[in-house]
Amino acid sequence: MDEIRHWHRRNFLRAGGLGYLGMSLPQYLRAAAAKEAAGAATAGRAQSCILVWLSGGPPHMDTWDPKPNSNFKAISTNTAGIQISELFPRVAKLMDKLSIIRSMHTEENNHPEGTYYGMTGHRPNPTMRFPSFGSIIGKELGSRNDVPPYVVTPPQSYPHSYNAGFIGPQYDPMVTPDPNQEDFKIPDLTLPKSLTRELIETRLAFLKVVDKRVRDKERFAEFASMDAYQEQALRMILAPNVRKAFDLTMEPPKDRDAYGRSRFGQSMLLARRLVEAGCRFVTAEGYEHSEWDTHFKNDEILRRDLAPKLDQALSVLVSDLDQRGLLKTTVVVVMGEFGRTPNINPEGGRDHYANCWSLLIGGGGIRGGTVVGSSDETAANVASRMVTQGDLFATIYKAMGIDPAKIYLAPGGRPIYIANSIGDKRGSPVEELL
Amino acid sequence: MKIRLVLCAAGIHAALAAAPPVPPAKVVSLRVIPADPTLRGAGTAVRFLAMAKYADGVERDVTAQAEPTLSDPEVAAVGDGNRIIAKADGEVLLRAKFGGRIAQTRVKVVQADKPRPFSFAREVGGILTKKGCNTSECHGGVKGQGGLKLSVNATQPKDDHHYIVKGGVFQVLTTESGGPAVPRVDTKEPEKSLLLLKPAMQVPHGGGQRFTKGSPDYDRLLGWIRQGAPFGEESTEAAVRTESVEVLPGETILDANGRQQLVVLAKLSDGTVEDVTSEASYSVSDVHVAKLTPDGLATALQPGETAIVVRAAGHAVSKMVSVMSKPAPDYPAIKSHNYIDDHILAKLRKLNIVPSGLSGDAEFLRRVCLDLTGTLPPPARVREFLASKNPRKREQLIDALLDSPEFVEFWSFRLGEILRYRQRSTQLMKDTQLYGEWIRESVASNKPFDRIVRERIAAEGYAGPSRYYYELRFLAEPPEIIAEQTRLFLGRRIECARCHNHPFESWSQDQFWGLAAFYGSMVDLRNTVMDDSVVIDAPEAAAKVIHPRTKKTAEPRFLDGTPLAKEARDDPRRRLAEWVTGHPYFAETLANRAWDWFFGRGIVEPVDDFRSTNPATHPELLAAMAKDIREHGFDLKYLMKLIVSSRTYQTSGVPNETNSGDRTNWSHVVPKALDAAVLMDAIAAVTGVKEELKEGPMGVPASARAIEICPDLFSNKFLQAYGQNDRATLPEAKPQPGLAQALHMITGPTYSTRMLDDGGRIDRLARAGVTNRQAIEELYLTALARFPERAEVDQLDALMRSGASRKEVIFSLMWALVSSREFAYRH
Repeated sequence: MDEIRHWHRRNFLRAGGLGYLGMSLPQYLRAAAAKEAAGAATAGRAQSCILVWLSGGPPHMDTWDPKPNSNFKAISTNTAGIQISELFPRVAKLMDKLSIIRSMHTEENNHPEGTYYGMTGHRPNPTMRFPSFGSIIGKELGSRNDVPPYVVTPPQSYPHSYNAGFIGPQYDPMVTPDPNQEDFKIPDLTLPKSLTRELIETRLAFLKVVDKRVRDKERFAEFASMDAYQEQALRMILAPNVRKAFDLTMEPPKDRDAYGRSRFGQSMLLARRLVEAGCRFVTAEGYEHSEWDTHFKNDEILRRDLAPKLDQALSVLVSDLDQRGLLKTTVVVVMGEFGRTPNINPEGGRDHYANCWSLLIGGGGIRGGTVVGSSDETAANVASRMVTQGDLFATIYKAMGIDPAKIYLAPGGRPIYIANSIGDKRGSPVEELL
Repeated sequence: MKIRLVLCAAGIHAALAAAPPVPPAKVVSLRVIPADPTLRGAGTAVRFLAMAKYADGVERDVTAQAEPTLSDPEVAAVGDGNRIIAKADGEVLLRAKFGGRIAQTRVKVVQADKPRPFSFAREVGGILTKKGCNTSECHGGVKGQGGLKLSVNATQPKDDHHYIVKGGVFQVLTTESGGPAVPRVDTKEPEKSLLLLKPAMQVPHGGGQRFTKGSPDYDRLLGWIRQGAPFGEESTEAAVRTESVEVLPGETILDANGRQQLVVLAKLSDGTVEDVTSEASYSVSDVHVAKLTPDGLATALQPGETAIVVRAAGHAVSKMVSVMSKPAPDYPAIKSHNYIDDHILAKLRKLNIVPSGLSGDAEFLRRVCLDLTGTLPPPARVREFLASKNPRKREQLIDALLDSPEFVEFWSFRLGEILRYRQRSTQLMKDTQLYGEWIRESVASNKPFDRIVRERIAAEGYAGPSRYYYELRFLAEPPEIIAEQTRLFLGRRIECARCHNHPFESWSQDQFWGLAAFYGSMVDLRNTVMDDSVVIDAPEAAAKVIHPRTKKTAEPRFLDGTPLAKEARDDPRRRLAEWVTGHPYFAETLANRAWDWFFGRGIVEPVDDFRSTNPATHPELLAAMAKDIREHGFDLKYLMKLIVSSRTYQTSGVPNETNSGDRTNWSHVVPKALDAAVLMDAIAAVTGVKEELKEGPMGVPASARAIEICPDLFSNKFLQAYGQNDRATLPEAKPQPGLAQALHMITGPTYSTRMLDDGGRIDRLARAGVTNRQAIEELYLTALARFPERAEVDQLDALMRSGASRKEVIFSLMWALVSSREFAYRH
């Protein structure tokens, strides 16, 4: 409750400075530019995070933790001593920039619960909705250059998992349509054809007259915070930088091709454009719903479709971020909701497996070329240095300058760690990566 | 002053609640508290207060000027800052004199020859509480801190004693201690006890220095360890226990610069009292309003109200402390419509807050239509109501709305939110429909609320309410059900106690699992042929509810620990349903929730978070409403009519100088954001264009309003942006402004393209060739349920003249109306 009041007060002050719709549009834009200049990045600290979400759960032994029970060969990488699956030759050449955690251990073995767990660090509970770590990062770091702080592209499978839960819908992500569509645009940021900048000004003039009576009555904090949002919305819609960030047509066709002309490839490209523009957290969820859920013909689907797309888009993303100088300020995490069973089932598939799995992480000051933890012979159990979802969150928070030990007070006064680990313990950053 | 005598509803008594203005110089009465206390043991000292009640109804602390005298100086003495100090067995009268009045209290002293018996909770627990060792951020955390576990505020002294003397910490899933058990006391070498070394920082301590070696607290702990670290007499059956803690005086209202000494009394089971004012810890929720010293002296800082929480002797109590505004010279007499107003006006009077005037007809009309039916009044109804000279028109309107079909729709929506009527993707559509129909039928027949709740808790068979129990096509887990139902129907959040004793309240883990066990007899008779499920209670066939720490089967027990009788165990949920709806918590929770429905904030807020540390702003009013609703058979319409007929509800939303900062005393009506679905329907009513509702698995008839649709996993973008509750959990947050809304308002189809649709209001007005002034009036009546003011007409007319096409300027006007705060809120 206090959180909300406090937050309102902040917005109230901000709105008070600008005045209730008291500015002309050029003034808005000037104010926006001034804010942008003031919000210069703190050196050496991650500003953004891209979560590459592999919906369905990738088989860890066939990707980042090669084992004898995989039908794929292990290949060497550009980092001595680290091998990954032959399915990822291009990622192998960038291993010095990414690290592998091979000892992830989580608690949910089904897609809806696993996705929720992956995003919040909590098992589902009907008496409380927990915030996703994207919402937490958006709330903690706030918007930069008026770019929405938290974007999910394209629509996700279990929407509530990505949302803000008890911290409030204002921290929910902006969700984009499929960026690989012919006519991709963001409805929220796209003015209808009939609506021009002048018309908006006219309408705001009408609004000022209509709303005067109620505004004269009382200074109400919620009104002031809506004013602040309205100002931000106008800046977003009218200022070129935000629209450009979402406009994939500004990218040279060959660069678009490089990422892959697929839902996934283009979502990765959009993620890069967004963090470049100032977005704090992008979930690139280009794979179709549960596409990595290989209960049937695991090897075939992996080799034919899933792995090549990921190898291509991920390697291009990392190189691209690096060349643009963004990799040092952008954390990249590649994971799904769990791993897959060590055994191949009679259908040639692998089933859900949360007991032990792997992920990739790098950028934003997080060390590359490192392997954290290990699994046993068949990647069935964590053999050393278990890492939990809360530990992962804590690592990312720390890299981004957010106190990983922070507590939010949930309704009813229950303290909730923003990096919640198994048994409601506090997650700890994986220090060997920082 | 306009007083609408005639508006008082028949059958509702009217009374003049607020006293006429009188200078507060005159003392009306005087009292000395605590009233007739009994003190045990020589040297026991209890603070006393002399409280003078003035003509303005406010009691003030006059102890310092009260000239106390004792009838017998052999039995007790007065000293040490207004304390009575026991000397010898007997009775003595303590008299105080002030403002021409005399008051007295009878003090009894017993067992003066015996030393005060030792109590671990009070002596050791008191130090741990006062020094902040057992807060939830520190050793009071669920699993303690650094290997030492304490209960918050020493609520569980036996556990604390165990963890201090034996060591070890609490584990959620087992009764075993996690890790090595390190005793915190060393009775052989008491000075080497960790309980002393750590807080005195003789060894490193994460919590820093809490006291110094040789300080009084250090010495008291050392003395206790030297005696062998006993638990004290409380371990025996005949022991004297602290039964409750009371904070004196009751109501605390301070002048702008006023001060009040609080006295915190521990009431013991032998009938004696102890003064724990200096051992208590105090927290103030709004530090701008008042401050408190560690000795319980409250000082006013600025007008307003704050909750204070007092923790002492293993108990927590809270109360409101109010600081009054400067006296209003001509405090008006305001007519009360019913007993709600008596309570509200009396408190406002004491605080020198003048309530705003009675709402105007237009203001009232829009407010009551939205609150009772979720629907804007159509322009014709607005004109008719405003023109009517009938003195009983408000009452007649209320009756008409209560009997309207829109009322049924809207309250099916409201109850649907709290009863969680929703479609889950994996659930049969039939399940959802049956449940929704049951809710709708309950509203339509004005079914008594206790019956609704009994039907839901004890639901069996194919009937609608039993469908609640299926989450994802499986019976929901007993602990989750009981947590939700307790929150919803009893207003208490006991879910913490699922894994550990509640950190702030006295709910224990055993109580939680005792309640959960009532749901441990449910069986799902799955009919695979019909693909249907039926829930029944069959104790012999059901999986048992297992207590997670003891690993034993949990037996159904009511909150007070009474086990469900063996012969009643065939029907545990029916017994629980009767117990819940008969419990005092049930009626007060309903009254509070109803208050929130109409005022946007509960008397206890959040509405389902009653606890000792979250005080009600108007406890007597809540109790009166609870009693009333119980006596009226939990008739929801009666309760709603009572509220909307009150002067408090019908107060204007325009604040005055004395009340603009007030948010908790209902001195004026505070704006309340429309629910997402209500807002969507309101926009459609203005534009004349129906919003396209995306078809989920339920399918939506073309004519459906947003409040009729059942939220599912694929919710509408507009509804989502405006904070639609998807009902996967109980409602948590109220609608809040957000960026998504602001964006939608500029670019979303609801606010742009769709408004221009053929056949919509813009199209119609443009074709009809109305003048600017006609268009302005019609749109104002439709959207805001009022006539535009002259200045508004003039300015808007001027703006419309400069526009391009007719359609365009009407569009701009309509956009401005539906985007305005006046529209998006209920005022």
